[in-house]
Amino acid sequence: MNDLIFIMQKRLRFLMVLFCSMIFVLIFRLAYVQFVSGNEITDKAYDLWSRNIPVEGQRGIIYDRNGKPIVNNVLAPSVAVIPRQVEDKQEVARFLSEILDFDYGKALAHLSKNVSVQLIKPEGRKISIEQAQKIIDKNYKGVYIVGDTTRNYLYDTYLAHVLGFVGIDNQGITGIEYIYDDYLMGAGGSSKYYTDAKGHALEQLYGYYDAPTKGMDIYLTIDIDIQILLERVLENANARYQPDQMLGLIMNPKNGEVLAMASYPSFNPENYKEYDQEIYNRNLPIWMSYEPGSTFKIVTYAAGLEEGVFSLNEHFYDPGYRIVDGTRIKDWKAGGHGDQTFLEVIQNSCNPGFMEIGMRLGREKLFSYINNFGFGKKTGVDLLGESSGIVFNVENVGPVELATSAFGQGNSVTPIQLVNAASAAINGGILYKPYVLKEMRMPVTNEVVFSTQPTEIRRVISEETSSTVRHALESVVALGTGRNAYIDGYRIGGKTGTAQKAVNGQYLENNYIVSFLGAAPMNDPELVVYVAIDNPKNTIQYGGTVVAPIVGEILKEALPILGISKQKNQIEKEYRWLDLKYHTVPNLLGVEKKKIPRSVYYGYEYFGSGNVVKYQSPAAGEKIPEGGKILVYLE
Amino acid sequence: MRQEKRFNRVLFVTTLLLTSIGVLMVYSAGSIWAAEKYGNQYYYLIRQLVFASIGVLGMLLVSQINYQIYKKHSTKIFLGVMVLLILVLIPGIGLVRGGARSWIGVGAFSIQPSEFVKIAVIIILSKYLSDFYRDMKKPKYIILLLVVIVTVFGVIMLQPDFGTGMVIVTTSVIILFVAGVDLKYFLFLGAAGIGGIAMLIISAPYRLQRIFAYLDPWSDPLGAGFQIIQSLYAVAPGGLFGVGFGNSIQKYFYLPEPQTDFIFAIILEELGFIGGVVIFIIYTVFLLTSLKISYQSKDLFGKFLSLGIALIIFIQFFINIGVVIGLIPVTGVTLPFLSYGGSSLTVTLLGVGIILNISKYQQEV
Repeated sequence: MNDLIFIMQKRLRFLMVLFCSMIFVLIFRLAYVQFVSGNEITDKAYDLWSRNIPVEGQRGIIYDRNGKPIVNNVLAPSVAVIPRQVEDKQEVARFLSEILDFDYGKALAHLSKNVSVQLIKPEGRKISIEQAQKIIDKNYKGVYIVGDTTRNYLYDTYLAHVLGFVGIDNQGITGIEYIYDDYLMGAGGSSKYYTDAKGHALEQLYGYYDAPTKGMDIYLTIDIDIQILLERVLENANARYQPDQMLGLIMNPKNGEVLAMASYPSFNPENYKEYDQEIYNRNLPIWMSYEPGSTFKIVTYAAGLEEGVFSLNEHFYDPGYRIVDGTRIKDWKAGGHGDQTFLEVIQNSCNPGFMEIGMRLGREKLFSYINNFGFGKKTGVDLLGESSGIVFNVENVGPVELATSAFGQGNSVTPIQLVNAASAAINGGILYKPYVLKEMRMPVTNEVVFSTQPTEIRRVISEETSSTVRHALESVVALGTGRNAYIDGYRIGGKTGTAQKAVNGQYLENNYIVSFLGAAPMNDPELVVYVAIDNPKNTIQYGGTVVAPIVGEILKEALPILGISKQKNQIEKEYRWLDLKYHTVPNLLGVEKKKIPRSVYYGYEYFGSGNVVKYQSPAAGEKIPEGGKILVYLE
Repeated sequence: MRQEKRFNRVLFVTTLLLTSIGVLMVYSAGSIWAAEKYGNQYYYLIRQLVFASIGVLGMLLVSQINYQIYKKHSTKIFLGVMVLLILVLIPGIGLVRGGARSWIGVGAFSIQPSEFVKIAVIIILSKYLSDFYRDMKKPKYIILLLVVIVTVFGVIMLQPDFGTGMVIVTTSVIILFVAGVDLKYFLFLGAAGIGGIAMLIISAPYRLQRIFAYLDPWSDPLGAGFQIIQSLYAVAPGGLFGVGFGNSIQKYFYLPEPQTDFIFAIILEELGFIGGVVIFIIYTVFLLTSLKISYQSKDLFGKFLSLGIALIIFIQFFINIGVVIGLIPVTGVTLPFLSYGGSSLTVTLLGVGIILNISKYQQEV
């Protein structure tokens, strides 16, 4: 019996030790929960206890190349509710539906939702400061105002296609806003309120504001002053010609930077919903592709020069047509240009001359240049919706296709391909990849995070050939079809284009895309300007007539903006009987009516009943075309 | 046997300490729910105070009653409680709360017969072992005891109340161990136990889910892992010193019924690691004291009875706190002295009363 009792006592002692160790296990586990994984679990607990009313991050600002803001943000408060904290749901619903002007039933539904935080969306998003103030004044429990922001496009419709726009949550939908959305977007913050599991505010914990961060700022290659210039000129052209659509593209030929890009019709990014998708989705300078017409001759000309198949002084006789493979292909000028040098061939934009160059090159060589100049594939510009254009497959090119390709028909190209190719032809022979994003910078500190370097794609022609092309294009403006772009004091080069529009395999009659590609200064080109007008009304549809003066005007204004001063040594303009001559306006201010000098070149139109000239237009020293009238106000 | 000997004062003081802490913490943990459900934040406090008073008075009374009386009436007590345990299963008599039919209503109060079964099983086991401990090498005696234990467990599982069932089985097995049953039987029992648990899991898959929830509560945060996560959300923010008495956040409807099974989570949140360890120390003193009483008891019935009561308290303590700090799967077991609940508290205090009475006779016998 004693043995049995002894076993019992021994086992009891064992139990005491066992139980004490088990209590130690509990203490160790408790220490682990509280001190080792404690922070992690505590963070989760705080997340559980807090109601976060989200506050959007502020999007980065978009600047032009000189740091002028193009897109920034304005305060636009939003309304959020914590339904469980709202005491009289009907009263608050009535109030909100009245202030925000929406259905009472919808307001009540928001307030009755079984969620922790409900955003009044979309009616309560981005409301006016006045509306927000009224809601703040009422101070209903459970109704919160969140300081969101909304995008402010400072130049309305200008540059809209490049910039794109954002949705209700400030998410980028198209354009730069979409492409660089990840960088522009600021991380969201929140207003935190601590509540019990039923949503009532807790007194133990104070809420706090977790400020949203700002997104990165973007600096574009765009020069907003040049953009404004381009847009205004296009607006004027729109009023004058009522075209179907228009586009303009200005680039720096030395590195592929896009300085300005415009599409017409345009839209206001703040109200993009009021426009057709076709308007805001089509960034014409990169989207539109068409047979470019004579502007394309720059490529053929450069290829021919590089391959040495002709020289500028070589003579060529144009009878006004050329028969290719049994097909008679006419020149644009009835009767042809007769005997000319190859320099005159480009000045006159002579189609048979370019067919000759094309034939001399042969299809392999011509098409290898066309491909090398970047046609047939996207340029890779950092914008949405670029087309690649269509270039004949060289195997399918017969003599007719070769001949028409040489003067710009048959292949379809995008404006940006054309401008980029022309840039390579005149910049010394290097094809660059076009781009729009210049720099990305940190908000506040302005530290540069990323900066685009020009991307050289390939050399397409030699320096010497490029120099010859520059000379040829300058002479086109001074002496040839581009003379309407001529500016006194600037060395302008360029090429006209009148593109025929093919619809269902047929070229349209009296419906052209007229265009002009200009560049300056031709000894060292700083910018290339391309403008195309689709189906201008009330005019002869020739690029040289309609667009050359527009491009001339742009160059005249843009060169001073870029700080490029007037030069000497330009090719002197040759006047023809068709061209208007310009005469300097005399100073008439203070002159008596009787003593105003008569001129055979211009007339006067008088206003007012006085005897002495008080005001004149144009002012003294300006040019007036032959047959024009000077307006004179007498007092 | 003389009656003038005083009962063990350490046991008495630790009991009063734990009960008082329990009353305070039931108030703090339960006030928010009480205000929500009964419109009176003192609802649980008042009731717990009444239970504690009845329990302490009962304990003092029981400590004056010679414990041999339970040996004499052990069969009657056991059968009486078993009748209650079966009655509770009958719809109309038994009340369902929290998914288990465990309560019998008596006026405004209701009792949980399974709480009383724990004591009754120990009484009858202690009587049997103290009479037949010499025969514990013979399998038929052991099998008879096991049949009784398994029957009780089976009836409790009909409610179902897995926690109480586990407590009774574990307590009984440890008593058999101390009574000197050969160790080879425990190997057999261990295998049978694992098999039994496997059977139970298969018969009620929610138990399996609970086990997985314990391993990774965040895998099913709104389902099986919910209670563990909510418990840890109270424990972890408590840190070293706690957020202060009354300042728990998890009691604000995050932790369901924080005054019962998860009261220790709120204690750790408000009083921190230090508060928790202080309670552990009081518990350890209580347990070692009651085991010492068992150890010193020359009367075998008193030895087994005091051991059994101490075991019930320790096992519930270990399971409850293990659940609260995510050491073991969720099992519905109350924390003796601290959890809100009339039956649980009074039965525990009455049990302590029995140990106190046993402690009176130690030096003489």
